[in-house]
Amino acid sequence: MGQIFFQTQNLTMQFGGLVAVHNFSIKIEPHEIIGLIGPNGAGKTTVFNMITGNLIPTSGKIIWLDRDITALQPHYITTLGIARTFQNIRLFGNLSVLDNVMVSYHHRLKSSFWDAMLRTRRYRSEEKHIREEAFRILTMVGLDHFAREPASSLPYGQQRKLEIARALATNPKLLLLDEPAAGMNPQETLELARFVRSLRDSFDLTLIVIEHDMKFVMGLCERIVVLVYGHTIAEGRPEDIQHHPEVIKAYLGEKRHARY
Amino acid sequence: MNFQIFMQQLINGITLGSLYGLVAIGYTMVYGILRLINFAHGDLLMVATYAVIYSMALFMLPWYLSFPLAILFTGLVGILLDRVAYRPLRNAPRISLLISAIGASFLMENLALVIIGGVPKPFPRPSLFDKVVDLYGVKIQVLTIYTPLTTIVLLLGLLYIVRYTEVGKAMRAASRDFETTRLMGINLDRVIALTFLLGSSLAAAGGIMWAMKYPQVNPFMGIIPGLKAFIAAVLGGIGSIVGAVVGGFLLGIGEVLIVAIFPGLAQYRDAFAFMVLIFLLIFRPTGIMGEAIVDKA
Amino acid sequence: MDKGLKKTILNISAIGLLFFALWLFDRYGTEYHVRILNNIAVFIILAVSYNLVNGICGVLHLGPNAFITIGAYTSALLTMSPAEKKISFIIEPLIWPLSVIQVPFWMSLIIAGLVSTVFAFLISYPVFRVRGDYLAIVTLGFGEVVRVLCNALQGVTNGPLGLKGLKPYTNLWWSWAIAVITIVVIQRLINSSWGRAMKAIREDEIAAKAMGIDPFRHLLMAFLINAFFSGVAGGLLAHLITTISPTLFTFFLTFNLLMIIVVGGLGSTTGAVIGATLFAWGSEALRIVESPMQIGSLYIPGIPGMRMVIFSVILMVVIIFARKGIMGQREFSWDWVFAKIKRKHT
Ligand SMILES: Nc1ncnc2c1ncn2[C@@H]1O[C@H](COP(=O)(O)OP(=O)(O)OP(=O)(O)O)[C@@H](O)[C@H]1O
Ligand SMILES: [Mg+2]
Repeated sequence: MGQIFFQTQNLTMQFGGLVAVHNFSIKIEPHEIIGLIGPNGAGKTTVFNMITGNLIPTSGKIIWLDRDITALQPHYITTLGIARTFQNIRLFGNLSVLDNVMVSYHHRLKSSFWDAMLRTRRYRSEEKHIREEAFRILTMVGLDHFAREPASSLPYGQQRKLEIARALATNPKLLLLDEPAAGMNPQETLELARFVRSLRDSFDLTLIVIEHDMKFVMGLCERIVVLVYGHTIAEGRPEDIQHHPEVIKAYLGEKRHARY
Repeated sequence: MNFQIFMQQLINGITLGSLYGLVAIGYTMVYGILRLINFAHGDLLMVATYAVIYSMALFMLPWYLSFPLAILFTGLVGILLDRVAYRPLRNAPRISLLISAIGASFLMENLALVIIGGVPKPFPRPSLFDKVVDLYGVKIQVLTIYTPLTTIVLLLGLLYIVRYTEVGKAMRAASRDFETTRLMGINLDRVIALTFLLGSSLAAAGGIMWAMKYPQVNPFMGIIPGLKAFIAAVLGGIGSIVGAVVGGFLLGIGEVLIVAIFPGLAQYRDAFAFMVLIFLLIFRPTGIMGEAIVDKA
Repeated sequence: MDKGLKKTILNISAIGLLFFALWLFDRYGTEYHVRILNNIAVFIILAVSYNLVNGICGVLHLGPNAFITIGAYTSALLTMSPAEKKISFIIEPLIWPLSVIQVPFWMSLIIAGLVSTVFAFLISYPVFRVRGDYLAIVTLGFGEVVRVLCNALQGVTNGPLGLKGLKPYTNLWWSWAIAVITIVVIQRLINSSWGRAMKAIREDEIAAKAMGIDPFRHLLMAFLINAFFSGVAGGLLAHLITTISPTLFTFFLTFNLLMIIVVGGLGSTTGAVIGATLFAWGSEALRIVESPMQIGSLYIPGIPGMRMVIFSVILMVVIIFARKGIMGQREFSWDWVFAKIKRKHT
């Protein structure tokens, strides 16, 4: 038996009477790109919130690198190598774009508080290193020109990219993207898919991606899980999912108000 | 401690508690909708008592006219408070709203100090409430009986409004989901104004009864009862009207009985409520009847 | 010349200039000027460190008066001589070993800061279990508890009588040296990785957690640092006013601090310094509205409370109409000065 990379076992989340997620189980191998799809309110974001510790599951277990991480504190889970972006963008609006990314290095800072207060050589060189690294990531997502601007001044699409940059900077092994293509035009969406794939290779990442844009998901993901009303109704390769009768039914039923 | 004294103290506690409860309702109602602790709420007690003093002294009104007028006046002050200090900040960061609330509280207190002066004024308690009845050897001032009764009657009236009238339903909808209620085309500003009117009127009733119990009034008299009533609201579970009254009774009775049982602790009496608050926040932040506050990501 | 070196030189000269000016006031200034300057320095210490919690971390802490009180009592009890203490504590004698200890002023200030910090640590758990309005009330309540304790624990605080006849150790040198230290320490913290993390918590706590930042640790750090400086400032105030009592540092003081940092601009140290200066000077200047006046034959009686009315109106107007205050979240910097000068010359 090898190591368990990432696995959830019967994750269930109940809000009062509403079962938002029911027995969600999935096993992921390193380097996979998983798509998580489903109509509005299906429970996709709730799954992310449970994985990252923002919500404590009513029942079930989350295993990460052989360790039970269920209900650990969100910031601690991040330090273990799981990062996320937010569907409803949550940037540090009044901080500069560069600072937004530099914040993500703080949890790995080696200098002590006193190093920082006395501005020791160690602290200064580390701060310089962090700055360069943050810049490198900003260049990758094409935001280096905006480094000094406040994050809130960026246009919507760029804000989504900054969300990704910031999550990448925490040095994750597993990255959770919540609707990264929302608000992008088809051209940008296409580029994003290419970009995400390149990230996987250059950062040695495993990804779970929530997205409503079918073309994006089908083109990018190797495996897709379909959630409807909290239940997993299908799981498999993109081509199988596309022809899965239940999925077609679920999607035709709500086509009129898919997205927004 | 013999039975008589115990009963006497218990009744004192109930009276005090019902006052906390009346004031706590206003905190809870406003918090339910705006998610704001209306810092200036306690000062409405002071507004009401001065309104009574002035209407009785200047216009020679009898108490049964003066009290309702003062209550109405305080309700209007509550609406004005919302209009001036809170409404412009509906979309501002929460910290701004709170700071504005603190500013409003200080403004009311010091405006009263400037206009009326800092010398405590006696409250003209109608002699009707001075009577003392003897209940099986327990001597009770009638005021201490009227106070909790009034509280219960007002509570029932409020519950009726909130549960069975259109505006009441709008208020409840707004406290459950502000945005959706707005989208449904309900005029939220009116709902909020009404909330302030009701909450402030109840605080006024509480203030008047407070002043009859402790007939020395000054511009800062609302601060401590205000803070304690807030704690009562948290104790009962903020957002719940019945909870606020229950919390008020518990706090009032607890405060009085602790001092009665351990007279050595009398000096610490004002710290008792805050200890309750701290333990509450450590062990049960949602209060007795409140719902869990969820961290929405 | 290297830009960093140039700024260091400018900083040092600015501080030198400040102390030269203080020397002038110390020698030639009136008592009135010296009092205002001392007040300015103490309010700078208080406001700059308070701003770390409220402006940088973005939580509404309403209890600095509690830590100022604790610092004031600690420092005062440590500088009084055993003989003085024996005379002062008439209702109940001062408990041992406080009754026999006497330390130099500077040491009493440090201990005052540390004792305040310990108290801050003790209440930090309930305080940071909650946020927003609740946090505000808990910290406010702590201030009330401290007041009640000061009245009740007569064997330590001498109860309502307070402590009288403290030596006026606080002078311009002490107060301004500590003010400068406070500014340097707080600025270094704000401009470090820790400060960045605190600002991230202020902007969006959930996102900050998702980036690996532990809010409790960082809020606690800010809270303790604020408590330390509040305690030190309390010690300075005690030896400036020379009489302390349980009702001296009430929520009024916290209100004033809040007004200072809001008017200066929440989140800006420069703003806190400007706000503290305006306040210390303004509240002296505004004394006239509260004292009786004789203009020709017209006699205007003093109006107590008028200053606070003016202050609360200022606070509300700023928060409603000009939320950013004077500085917003910006800071003074030499770069900004250079840019200004350059523009003038071209
Ligand atoms: N913190 C919460 N408290 C109560 N109910 C919640 C909470 N979070 C989510 N829900 C409910 O759980 C259900 C699933 O929500 P979730 O956000 O996970 O859906 P989703 O699949 O991400 O939808 P979308 O595509 O719209 O983002 C919804 O009915 C939502 O209202
Ligand atoms: Mg979602």
